[in-house]
Amino acid sequence: MTAEISRRVTLAWIAAAASSALATAGCESVPAAAPASAPMSPASLWKDLALSPVVAPGYGQDPDLNKPVIPWPLTLDGQQRETLRIAADLMLPADAHSPSGGTLHLDAFVDEWVSAPYPQQRADRSLVLAGLSWLDAESMHRFGPDFAHAGDAQRREIFDLVAFRKNVQPGYGRPAQFFARLRGLMLSGFYSLPEGIADIGYMGNNPSLGLYPGPTEEALAHLNASLTKLGLKAV
Amino acid sequence: MPQHNKKPHREFEPDVVVVGSGAGGGMAAYVLTKAGVKVLILEAGRDYDPLADSAMLKWNHEAPLRAAPTPDKDFGYYDATVGGGWSVPGEPYTSAPGSTFRWWRARMLGGRTNHWGRHVPRFGPYDFKPYTRDGLGMDWPLSYEDMAPYYDRTEKLVGVIGTNSGLENHPDSSPGVLLPSPKPRATELMIQAAANDLGIPCVPSRYAVLSRAIDHPHAPRQACFNASSCGRGCGIGAAFQSTTSLLPMAMGTGKLRITTNATVSLVVTDERGRAKGVEYFDKDGASHVVRARVVVLAASACDTAKILLNSRDGGLANSSGEVGRNLMDTTGTNIAGHIPALENRPRYNEDGMDVAHLYIPFWLYKEQAAGKLDFPRGYHYEIGGRFGMPGAGSPLGGVEDGYGLSLKEDARRYYGAQLSFTVRGEMIPNTDSFCELDPDVKDKYGMPVLRFHWKWSQHEIRQIAHGIKSARDMIHRLGGTVTTPDIPPERAISDGGFIIHELGTTRMGDKAGNSVTDSFGKSWDVDNLVIADGSVFTSNAHKNPTLTIMALAWRSMDHLAARLRKGEV
Repeated sequence: MTAEISRRVTLAWIAAAASSALATAGCESVPAAAPASAPMSPASLWKDLALSPVVAPGYGQDPDLNKPVIPWPLTLDGQQRETLRIAADLMLPADAHSPSGGTLHLDAFVDEWVSAPYPQQRADRSLVLAGLSWLDAESMHRFGPDFAHAGDAQRREIFDLVAFRKNVQPGYGRPAQFFARLRGLMLSGFYSLPEGIADIGYMGNNPSLGLYPGPTEEALAHLNASLTKLGLKAV
Repeated sequence: MPQHNKKPHREFEPDVVVVGSGAGGGMAAYVLTKAGVKVLILEAGRDYDPLADSAMLKWNHEAPLRAAPTPDKDFGYYDATVGGGWSVPGEPYTSAPGSTFRWWRARMLGGRTNHWGRHVPRFGPYDFKPYTRDGLGMDWPLSYEDMAPYYDRTEKLVGVIGTNSGLENHPDSSPGVLLPSPKPRATELMIQAAANDLGIPCVPSRYAVLSRAIDHPHAPRQACFNASSCGRGCGIGAAFQSTTSLLPMAMGTGKLRITTNATVSLVVTDERGRAKGVEYFDKDGASHVVRARVVVLAASACDTAKILLNSRDGGLANSSGEVGRNLMDTTGTNIAGHIPALENRPRYNEDGMDVAHLYIPFWLYKEQAAGKLDFPRGYHYEIGGRFGMPGAGSPLGGVEDGYGLSLKEDARRYYGAQLSFTVRGEMIPNTDSFCELDPDVKDKYGMPVLRFHWKWSQHEIRQIAHGIKSARDMIHRLGGTVTTPDIPPERAISDGGFIIHELGTTRMGDKAGNSVTDSFGKSWDVDNLVIADGSVFTSNAHKNPTLTIMALAWRSMDHLAARLRKGEV
C-alpha cells in the first residue's frame, strides 16, 4: 500500500483555500469538502481525511513472543517520513542526556504505528496523516514553503499554535488533538528505546537474587523529607 | 510442560475426566492423582510451556507497536494469554440488549493461571455468611472454619508471600505458611503514610509468587528474581501458574493424562441421568466421547455453565433453575494522581516482585455494621506507582505539555510521580445478571453460545462512589492532583466481566432447591458430576477469587476421592 495523501493533494487544498473555491480533487483519497460558505480562517486549513482503512495482516493471537515480527508493510511516503523526522527533532531535541527523536528514527516508529491494521492505529492514522498535511498547509499559508522547507522559527510558530494545553489558538481544536496524539506517540517511541530508558533512568528489567531490598538510602531520605513536609510520619 | 504425555487417551481408561487445566482443573488433577485416582484432563487450548513460550526479559521496543495492546493481544504483545483475550475466533458470545458483558478467555494449557494477577487474599468469616450479616444474597453451605485448613494447605503448595496483619475479616495464615514479603517501594510507603494518617490500613500484600525456591522433583520452582511482569508468564516458576506447579506434580504421579486442543461441548448422560463422560471436539472439528466414572467440570464459570446448558434441554444438573444465574464479577475502577512530592525523585530499581508489595484491605466493617455506610460489603485497593518499564504509553502519566527541551525535562521530572488506586469490590448477585444460551448464535462446533445479561445494582454504584472518594482523599493528603476524570460512579464502574472474576453460575447451597451443588461441588441432581471452578461461588467477596477456587477444589476433591475409595461413585 502507498500513502493516500500526496503532495499534489496538499497543494490542491492550498490553492483551493487561496481562491475560496473549495473543489474536491479527483482521486480516491479526497478530503471531505468544506461547505462553500465556510469562512476563511486558519482553522479551515485542517481537512479530515476519508481514508480507506489499512488492510494488512496482524500478528495474530499466538505470535512467537521471543521472535517478534511486524507483519504489516509501512505505508508512509518519503515526504511524510521527512516531515515526521523534522517534527521528532523539534518535539524531542538532542540534549546532554539523549539524542534527538529524529536521530532515533521516530518517523519509522510512527510509520509502523499508523500502518498497523488495528482499530486504534487506524484511528490514529486518520488523525496523523491529516495532521501532517495540516502542518504543510499551515506552513504554506503563512510562509510559502511547506513544513519541511520552512525555517526553524517558522516551524516553531506552527507548533506554538497547538502545543500548549492552556494556549491552543481558537479554531485549532483538531490540529491540537493531532499534536497531542503525535506527542504521545513520540514519547512512547522515544522513552522505550535504550537511549530513552537511559535518559529517564529506568533501572529495572535486571534480575537479582534474594528478597527485593526496597528503596536506596538516597531514595528513602528523599521520601522522608517529602513526608515530613506533608506533615506525615516518616518511615 | 516437558512431561506432557501426548499418547492418545484411548490407551488410558480414566476414573475421572476433568474439563479444564487452570486453577480448578489443575488442583482437581493434583489432589485426585495424589490419592491414586486416574485422571484425564481435557484442555480446549494448545500445549503451553512458560519456560519456552514466555518472553520474560524482552524489551518493549523489541515488540510491534512497543508491545501496545491490540485486539490480537488485548493486554499487550508479551501477555501470556494464547488464543484468546476478549474474543476467541469461532467462539463468540453475545450480550442482551441493554447489557454489556466482556468475557476473557484463554485457549492454552493452564488456562488463565498463566497470566493472572496472583493476588490471593483469603475470604474471611463474614464472607461465607453474607446473608446472615446483612440479609442480602445467600450464605455459603460452609464456613470459614471449614475452609481454613484448605487455605493453609493451598497457600503452602502454591507459595504465597505475605504477613499476618490480624485485621478484622482478613484472616491470618497458620504459622510457617506464608513466605517472606519483599520491602515496599517508596511510592507504596508514601501511600501507606497518607492512608494511616486518614485511619486507613495499608499492609503487606499476599501474592502467589515465591520469595523462596520450592524444591520438588517434578515441579522445581525458583524464587522471584525481581524482574519481568508476572502477566508475561513465569518461565522460572516463581509466579504460580498451573503449568509449572499443579500439572507437573500431578503428572509426576503417573496417574494423569492430558489431551490438549479438546473443546468439551457437553456431558454425556445415561438413561438414569448419570454422567457417562463428555463429548469434545478436536481442533479439526471431529467429535469424540470420553467415558469415566466421574466428570469434574472446571472450564471456568461461564464455560462450565455453557457445557451444562448444552448437555440437555433445560440444562443438566439444573432442577433448581440456577445454572447460569447469579453471575457475578468484581466491581472495578481506577483513580490516579500526580504527586508533586514525587517529582525528580532519586532513581533506583523499582521493579521488585512486579506485584504490589502493600495492599489496602477493606477497613470499615464496624462502621458498616453500625449502619453508617450507604453500601453493603467491602472493597479493597490495589495500589500502584513506580519507575515502570517504558513502553507504549507516555512516561509523563497524563501531564505532558508543550515540546522541545522542556518536554524532555518534564519527562525526567514527572516519571514515577504518579500514584494509582485500583478499586476491587464485592458484587451481590442479582436477578438481572446471568447467562443463558443464545437462541440464534452458534459457535464453530455448532453449539449454542452464551448470551449475557448484566446490570450493576445501587449497592455496587454506591460502593464505587465511596472507593473513588477515599482514593481522592489520599491523593489530596499527599498534596497531589487527581488526574482521572471526575465522572459519576455509574460511569466510572467497569463493564460486567471486565475484572475477569466471573463466578456463581452453578452456585453451591444447603439444599437442592436453591443451588446447583452441595458444599463439595457435587451436583444435587447428578451424583457423579462435580464442579471445581469459580462457578460454585455463592458470593463474591472483594477478595480475588483464585485462592478460594483452589482451596475449594482441594476440599471437593478430597471428598470425591473418599467417595471413589469407598465405591460410592
